[in-house]
Amino acid sequence: MESPPPPPSLQELDAAENINLLWDSTASEEARERMIFDGHRDEIDRYLQAVDEIQRSLSSATLASEGEQSKLNSAIQIAMARLEDEFRNILLSHTTPIEPDSFSSADPSSSTHSYVADSSSEFEDYSAEDNGGLTTPKASSVSAGDVDELLQRGDSSNTCSYRSASSIRELDLIPSDAVFDLRNIAERMIAAGYLRECIQVYGGVRKGAVDSSFRKLGIEKLSIGDVQRLQWEQLETKIRRWIRAAKVCVRTVFASEKKLCEQIFNGIGTAIDDACFMETVKGPAIQLFNFAEAISISRRSPEKLFKILDLHDALMDLMPDIESVFESKSSESIRIQAVEILSRLAEAARGILSEFENAVLREPSRVPVPGGTIHPLTRYVMNYISLISDYKQTLHELIVSKPSTGSRYSGDPTTPDMEFAELEEKTPLALHLIWIIVILQFNLDGKSKHYKDASIAHLFMMNNVHYIVQKVKGSPELREMIGDDYLRKLTGKFRQAATSYQRATWVGVLYCLRDEGLHVSGSFSSGVSKSALRERFKSFNAMFEEVHRTQATWLIPDTQLREELRISISEKLIPAYRSFLGRFRSHIESGKHPENYIKYSTEDLEMAVLDFFEGYSVSQHLRRRSQ
Amino acid sequence: MPATEYSSAGSNQIGRSIFGLRRDQLNSMETHGLSGGGGGGSGGLNLDSFQTHVADCFLQLSSSHDLLSLPWLRDLLDSFLRIHQEFKTLLILSTKTHISKPTVDRYISDYFERSVKALDVCNAIRDGIEEMRQWLKLLDIVLVALDRDRTLGEGQFRRAKKALVDLAIAMLDDKDSSNTTIAHRNRSFGRNNNTKDHHQQQHRSLGHFRSLSWSVSRSWSAARQLQAIGNNLYAPRPNEIVASSGLAPAVFTINSVLLFVMWALVAAIPCQDRGLQVHFNVPRSFVWAGSMLSLHDRIMDESKRRDRRNACALLKEIHQIERCSRVIGDLADSAHFPLAEAKEKEVRERVQQLSSLCEGIKEGLDPLERQVREVFHAIVKSRTEGMDSY
Repeated sequence: MESPPPPPSLQELDAAENINLLWDSTASEEARERMIFDGHRDEIDRYLQAVDEIQRSLSSATLASEGEQSKLNSAIQIAMARLEDEFRNILLSHTTPIEPDSFSSADPSSSTHSYVADSSSEFEDYSAEDNGGLTTPKASSVSAGDVDELLQRGDSSNTCSYRSASSIRELDLIPSDAVFDLRNIAERMIAAGYLRECIQVYGGVRKGAVDSSFRKLGIEKLSIGDVQRLQWEQLETKIRRWIRAAKVCVRTVFASEKKLCEQIFNGIGTAIDDACFMETVKGPAIQLFNFAEAISISRRSPEKLFKILDLHDALMDLMPDIESVFESKSSESIRIQAVEILSRLAEAARGILSEFENAVLREPSRVPVPGGTIHPLTRYVMNYISLISDYKQTLHELIVSKPSTGSRYSGDPTTPDMEFAELEEKTPLALHLIWIIVILQFNLDGKSKHYKDASIAHLFMMNNVHYIVQKVKGSPELREMIGDDYLRKLTGKFRQAATSYQRATWVGVLYCLRDEGLHVSGSFSSGVSKSALRERFKSFNAMFEEVHRTQATWLIPDTQLREELRISISEKLIPAYRSFLGRFRSHIESGKHPENYIKYSTEDLEMAVLDFFEGYSVSQHLRRRSQ
Repeated sequence: MPATEYSSAGSNQIGRSIFGLRRDQLNSMETHGLSGGGGGGSGGLNLDSFQTHVADCFLQLSSSHDLLSLPWLRDLLDSFLRIHQEFKTLLILSTKTHISKPTVDRYISDYFERSVKALDVCNAIRDGIEEMRQWLKLLDIVLVALDRDRTLGEGQFRRAKKALVDLAIAMLDDKDSSNTTIAHRNRSFGRNNNTKDHHQQQHRSLGHFRSLSWSVSRSWSAARQLQAIGNNLYAPRPNEIVASSGLAPAVFTINSVLLFVMWALVAAIPCQDRGLQVHFNVPRSFVWAGSMLSLHDRIMDESKRRDRRNACALLKEIHQIERCSRVIGDLADSAHFPLAEAKEKEVRERVQQLSSLCEGIKEGLDPLERQVREVFHAIVKSRTEGMDSY
């Protein structure tokens, strides 16, 4: 380290003071109209040298009178006031105007001044309500397009960091010659003890720049009340925009500001770069996170789950960058807020899932679905949990406790039971999904009781449980979580419902075709009660017609299931009828008006069965029958 | 059935705790006399003790000589947090009484609606605190310039004066600054004739500077927010009291306390559109009414005083800063150099005074900010926990 230069001679000091006074902005119009740092390098150097000489005189030990000291102090104050303005001016004029251009345009070298070019393609130029027609400086602001553009350019003149591990992309916000000047000024100001003024000026200008970037990125100043009043669809859009914008903010806007502070203040004084950085970004950072916070405390309802998870994931993704950019002690409150928000979003997700489960259990609609087909609730719930399985990675982390279900012997009729013994191995999330299916069925079961006819009630359950099974089978993630054991249980359930349906409908019909009760006086072939037989045929016809009329309007949406059930019906019905006909038709045909009793051939029945579960409207069906 | 950390196994609809407290926590609260006995036939809810507690808090607050100072504000927020906690307990216990769930729900939802509006006020106050920190930075310059270890020359005074002028501008009341275009008085550069367009920023509306510091849009108004919190807030009528088994007065109490606290914060701390015209309509039958209304009146009186009418906020320390810095500014303006001994002595005394003031404020702002945030969290928590059953 070289010894400090000797204090200036009286002559030198005099000259220095004159230069200083020349540039005293409170003294002359001329001094006000020109900026030193806009002029020649010589002029700049001379001025800085003058300031240095005055400063050296002040700090040298050979100082004599108080009067001299006072004079020098006064001179320093004039110099510092001037430098403050020069500092501000350089900052303001080297916050480069935005080039409203797209990435496909000209080569990078043509825009040497615009280190930061705007791309209007990614973001609509969202001018927030705060604009108010102000003549704001064209600050150097950043949009996502710039980042992409730089990535495409691969320009080595920028200092983008391409470290694969880091997602931070800093930009050079101010050209290096301006940084050089700023540094020179900062050095003098800080050496003279005018550090605070320096920080104030710096923060004032750069805050405006960050604010402009924010507006370009579409970040709005919304209050919690504003967020509450918005419709969810609008909020979804805003969340999406916020996620994109937040990434650019943290990884580029804030990171670049931090870099700029380092470039200007590094090595000058202690932690001044940090103070300037915080001065610049603290307010904007709070403003940014306020939106996420507002979302995290909004009213919970099931449709919000997935956007909240998106927001949670985005913030989670950003945390390492947040911690890196805001690593200093003074920025602790920002890190804390981010962590709080993350935790609230997680809580919100859990709460929504809970809400959803409750809603499914208590869904109160009593109007039976016409035709016994799939209930909208079933579709909604299965789609919802399919989506949940898409988000399983995140939800896996967030859902840590089992659903609280009724205990096995609670005897509470309003809540189903779920035995967890065989589900020991399952993750809490999987248990929740299974629980949701359990309560869905429970609810559907309740709904099925609103049908007057037991047959359609069974059909309804069959349709819906089958749908559940199909949806689970159709999603590998869902299937993996639900597990084949439970899937088998569900399959058994809808098969059983199918059986119950058949019993409910067809036992009565087939009863008409039974053998006993038709023979009289023990004799085999000739002792048949003709009257009883006629009754049987009449009953069968009536019953079958009724069933046919009704059940053609019922619906089994799944083709395969529909076929299977029809085949199952046929397998019981057709042989029984054929056999009955075979044994007893002669008795009818030997009597009067056989056509009143034997109305249908076996083929007729086979054709009729094809009408079942087609979901014909009543009028359609009548028309068909009359053909 | 919250899917949260703790499971409430076997909890059924009736006994489910609204705020997710565990059984053991509930039990301990019961022993604190908030349920059982007394309360005039309110089916086991001891509402009187709640009212008494509120009355005690407000009596203490109103007997202070340091109204609207930083320590007083902290006492205010502390009281709020305690009262709020007690109210939560009351609500939980109310579910174990015969009060019908729909009734409880209706009152909770009223409280939730008001308290969520208070969240924006908390955020605005946080902004205001940050703004005050900016003033402290300017005052730091004054203190450094006129530091006791320095000789006080013309240079130091000019430096201090510059900072004081900046401070005065910064402390201008919001409504004065939003529409005026003031070239920075210190920035004595004319620039009118300058051809370079980027110099035009000198004539920048102060409103712009202001808007940079608030985290809410220009249209947000503290006054309107307060009015919304107090909207339709009236003391319950006798039939309502009976029908709600005594819950209605408790809810009216917490709502009034919430309104008062937010109003007092807005009165004390700078924020956007600080209107103080809020009507507090509290019948004297409430034991805390006297203290609260007396506080209200005293604060309103303060706001109308000639020297405080245009203040950017009523915080006692702000007034002290204004006075002290004005005196120092006057001394600086009237100083002749070399400085007379008597004058120097006076300046140094004032600077010392200012230094203590700033120290005190610095110490007080951080805890205040934390407390405001605590209030924010307490309100959010009660909402999110309460939502499970709402």
